[in-house]
Amino acid sequence: MSLVGQTLAILRKDLLAEWRTRERLSPMIFLVLLMLLVFNFSFDMAGAPLHRTGPGVLWSAFVFASLLGLQRTFAAERDNGCLDALLVAPVSRTGLYLAKALANLLYLLVVEAVTLPLFTLFFSLPVGAYLAPLPLVLLLGSTCLATTGTLFASMAGHTRLREFLLPLLLLPVAMPALISCVAATGAVLEHSRGGAASWPPALAAHLEMLAVYAVVYSTVCLLLFEHVIEE
Amino acid sequence: MPSPSSPTPGAPATIRTHGPTAVVMALMTAALYAVFQYVPTESEMGLVQRIFYFHVASAITAYVAFLLVFVAGIGYLATQRDSWDRLGQAAAELGVAFSIVVLITGPIWAQPVWGRFWRWEPRLTIMLITFTMYVAYLMVRAYGDPGTRTSRFAAALGIMAFVCVPLVRFSVNLWAEEQQLHPVRIALDPRMLHARYVTYAAFAALFVYLLRLRLDQLHLRRRLEELETQVEDDVP
Repeated sequence: MSLVGQTLAILRKDLLAEWRTRERLSPMIFLVLLMLLVFNFSFDMAGAPLHRTGPGVLWSAFVFASLLGLQRTFAAERDNGCLDALLVAPVSRTGLYLAKALANLLYLLVVEAVTLPLFTLFFSLPVGAYLAPLPLVLLLGSTCLATTGTLFASMAGHTRLREFLLPLLLLPVAMPALISCVAATGAVLEHSRGGAASWPPALAAHLEMLAVYAVVYSTVCLLLFEHVIEE
Repeated sequence: MPSPSSPTPGAPATIRTHGPTAVVMALMTAALYAVFQYVPTESEMGLVQRIFYFHVASAITAYVAFLLVFVAGIGYLATQRDSWDRLGQAAAELGVAFSIVVLITGPIWAQPVWGRFWRWEPRLTIMLITFTMYVAYLMVRAYGDPGTRTSRFAAALGIMAFVCVPLVRFSVNLWAEEQQLHPVRIALDPRMLHARYVTYAAFAALFVYLLRLRLDQLHLRRRLEELETQVEDDVP
């Protein structure tokens, strides 16, 4: 079976299991909703301009939701004791990693797709063509979180602290990407005041950087995964 | 460091440090003299500028330590040899220790010069984020099960963290470009340059000394563990 075939087979298995149980997406979406509520009461969202607080609110909510979801990356395998079976199966480590990372990326994108309308609704974000670059920011940012998160989830599960360790590993390493995500989102939202549909000038630099991070993270994580997952 | 009197070749019987201790102490004394007596007081920042010699030397030492963690990580994943693993651990611990010195001396200098202890100034922020990555590294070691798996995890994280250092730099610089408050050029007087080199040498010596000490210690601990298993196997 080719690498693509292997990846798709594992991905299909994971998505099917998720579709039947929804045990990762439902809690993630609910958590984001709760985070938006908490932020609404923590910050004076009506006072400050939205492009100042909005990006932080949005990305904090996404990061917490992703941490919740990433913890479960290898949970089904571990709970059922079939991680070893998966490792002895004629599947390359690369395929396994790609499938797990892709699944995590998809979950994150679904959560974000559900959250954005809620965010615009709760915080009266004017909807317009200026929001068009936002999906690109979300895609690149989520790729960074999913690739690093998948690697660290495979580590954290094997320590004494279990899932508790994941945020401690992921947050420092993902920090540069998060900084760029917040800055890029801020650049997009700030543009709403101008009302123009053109590309915000500050955005390009942040997007380029995010693209670089996504490539660097996925390459390094892919190379390291086979050393981490052994046994 | 094989010693002729040691019962097992390859294992140090004791950690001998008299010679190196003398060297480090001499260099540190020279650095203290240079910083507090030899250099002239900087005209704008005044006395507090003298902390910069230690601040910068610690920062360089910390980043050298993190580079060693990276090299050790690659070495360990490639060869699975225990010595690489110990080098990674010792270097990470020292890197964290020297970053703490940077993060403490920075604010002490910042209070009189910038007017407050902490500002989210790029280089300080970069150091702080880098520091958190290596604290995470030490946590993997502290909370992992003893064995090769934890060593592999630590090696992977050590590589990942070092790759992230330039990324952190790019992000933070773009995020807070206009807030760059580090003095661009301070060494105007040649004596300041001399003091800098002496401090660098002293910190390099201190780093090598502490690294050696910690490596020997980790090596001894490993030997002890091996002997304990041996005794347990011999005595039924």
